[in-house]
Amino acid sequence: MSAAERVHAGRTRPLDAAVAYLLLVAGALVTLAPFVLSGMTAVKSPQQFAAEPVLNLPQPLTFSNFTTLFGGRYDFVSPVVVTAQVVAVILVGQIVFSVLAAYAFARLRFPGRDALFWVYLATLMVPQIVTIIPLYAMFAEAGLRNTFWGLVLPQVFGSPYGIFLLREYFRGIPEDLISAARLDGCNTMQILRYVVVPVSRPILATLTIITIVSHWNNFLWPLVITSGPTWQTLTLATANLQSQYNGNWTLVMAATTVAIVPLLVLFLTFQRHVVRSITITGFK
Amino acid sequence: MSRSSRETGTAYALLAPSLFGITAFLVLPIFVVLWLSLNRWNLISPAEFVGLDNVRQVFADGAFRRSLLITTGFVVIVIPAQTALGLFAATLLTRGLRGSALFRVVYVLPWICAPLVLGVVWKWILAPSDGALNALIGQRVEWLADPALALPTVAAVTIWTQVGYVTLFFVAGLTAIPSHLLDAARIDGASPRQVFWRIKLPLLRPTTFFVLVTGIISSFQVFDSIYALTPQGGPEGVTDVVAGRIYYQAFQSRNIGQASVMALVLFILLVVITVGQQRWFRSRTTYDLSS
Repeated sequence: MSAAERVHAGRTRPLDAAVAYLLLVAGALVTLAPFVLSGMTAVKSPQQFAAEPVLNLPQPLTFSNFTTLFGGRYDFVSPVVVTAQVVAVILVGQIVFSVLAAYAFARLRFPGRDALFWVYLATLMVPQIVTIIPLYAMFAEAGLRNTFWGLVLPQVFGSPYGIFLLREYFRGIPEDLISAARLDGCNTMQILRYVVVPVSRPILATLTIITIVSHWNNFLWPLVITSGPTWQTLTLATANLQSQYNGNWTLVMAATTVAIVPLLVLFLTFQRHVVRSITITGFK
Repeated sequence: MSRSSRETGTAYALLAPSLFGITAFLVLPIFVVLWLSLNRWNLISPAEFVGLDNVRQVFADGAFRRSLLITTGFVVIVIPAQTALGLFAATLLTRGLRGSALFRVVYVLPWICAPLVLGVVWKWILAPSDGALNALIGQRVEWLADPALALPTVAAVTIWTQVGYVTLFFVAGLTAIPSHLLDAARIDGASPRQVFWRIKLPLLRPTTFFVLVTGIISSFQVFDSIYALTPQGGPEGVTDVVAGRIYYQAFQSRNIGQASVMALVLFILLVVITVGQQRWFRSRTTYDLSS
C-alpha cells in the first residue's frame, strides 16, 4: 500500500474494516471459484465425475484427462505448439517493428510525421469484426487460407497500440543520452540498440506481456482463417473439443486448464508490471 | 545530402514495416469491405455487383434490427453493473486495508484469460444437470437454454470477466486525487458520503469517461464468450448479438455482401457513440488536478 492510498483511508473504524474485508473476500471467492472448480474437475476421473455429485473433491487425484488430451486422437500437442509458434513470431515482429516506428515518431523530424501518426492512432478505432471479412477475402485471394502465415501476417508488422505506447516512453528519454551516442559515432540502429532499448526495458517488458496475452487468447481470426486440425490454435481446439464432446467435462476442463495456466503463471510472475501498465495504457 | 533529408530517409526506413502492415491490414480492408458491401458474393462463385441492394436488404432484415436491439440490451445490462461494481470495489481497495494489492490482482485474473476459454469454463459451471452452479443451489435451472435467462446469464459472465479491469482504473483514479482536497472537505465537516458524491466522483470523471467508452465499444463487439456459451444465437435467438450475426452471415450463410453492410453499420455506430460520449463529457465541467 502506498502512502497516497493510505491517506484516503480517513478514519476507519474496526467495524467498517470488518465489513470491507467481508465484501472483498466474497468478491475474491466469486472471482476464483470458476478457476478452482474447473481445475478440480480437470484432475477428477470421468468415472467419479459421472457417478458422484460434481462438487465432490477428486478422489483419487488423476492426470488421466491430460494424458487423454495430449495422446491419441485429441492430439492437443499440436494446438499448443501452433499457438506457441504464432505468439513467438508475432511477438518478435511486433516488438522490433514497433520499436522502429515509435523511434521515428518520437525522435525524428520528417515531413508528414504528425499526419501519419494521426492515421496510426485512428486505426485503433477500427473494430476487428469490421476488418475480418475483407481480410479473409484478401487472404483467400492470396492463397493464405489455413497456413501459418495466414495466422500471423496481419499482426506481425507492429501494432498501432504498441507504437503509441513506445512513442510516449521514447519521448521521455533525455536528448543528451541520444546526442552523446551520436557524437560517439553511433548510427540510428546502434542508438536504438545501445541506448533506446536498454533504457526502455520496463515498457518493453510490459508490451511483451500484453502482446503474449492478447495473441495467446486470440480466437476470431484463427476461427476464420484456418480449417481442420493442422493450424488449430489452443482457443480454437478448446472450442471444438467442447462442441464435439459436450458433456465430457473432465476432458474439456483439462483443455481449459491447459489454455489458462500458462497465462496465470506469466501474469502472477509479472503482476506488478502488468497491473501498473494496464492502468497507464488501458490495454485491449 | 542535408541532415534533414537524411533524417527523413531514416524515418521512412524505420516506418516501412509498420506502414506496410497498417496500410495492408487495417486501412485497405476498410476499402475492401466497402466494395464487398456493394457485391453479392458467396466466397465461391465470382462476385456480382449489385449496388445498394445489400444495404436495402439489411435494413429490411428484421433479424439484423433484432440483433442490434439484443446487443444494446446486453450493453445496457453489462455497462452500469460493471462500472458500479468496479467503482465500489475500488472504494474498498483504497481504504488503506492490508492485502488490498492482493485482492486487486485476484480481481483482474479473469481479464487476462481468453474470453472464449472462460466461456467454455462457464458453459460447464452453468450446465443444467452436471454443472457446478446448479449443484451448489440444489436446483435445476436452464441458465443458457431458457430464452428468458440466456441473455442476462451471458451478460453476468461478461461482468464477472471485466469487473476487475474496471476496478483497476478506478483504484488508479481514486489514488490520484490529492489528499489535501479530501482533508479539507473532512475538516469542513463533510460526511464520508458527501466526500464520495461531491468530491471523489466529480474528480473521477476522466476515469469514468475512459471506462465507459472502452467498455461500451468492446461490449458492442462481444463475440468469443457468446460463441462458447450460446452458439448460433442461443435459444430462440435471444443472444444473437451483432458480431455473431456478422460472423454467421459471412461464414455460414456465405452472404458476404450483407455481412459487410452489417459490419459497416456497426463501425459507424461505434464511431458515433465514441464521438457522442466525448462531446457529452466535454460539455460538462472537468477539474484540472495538474496544478
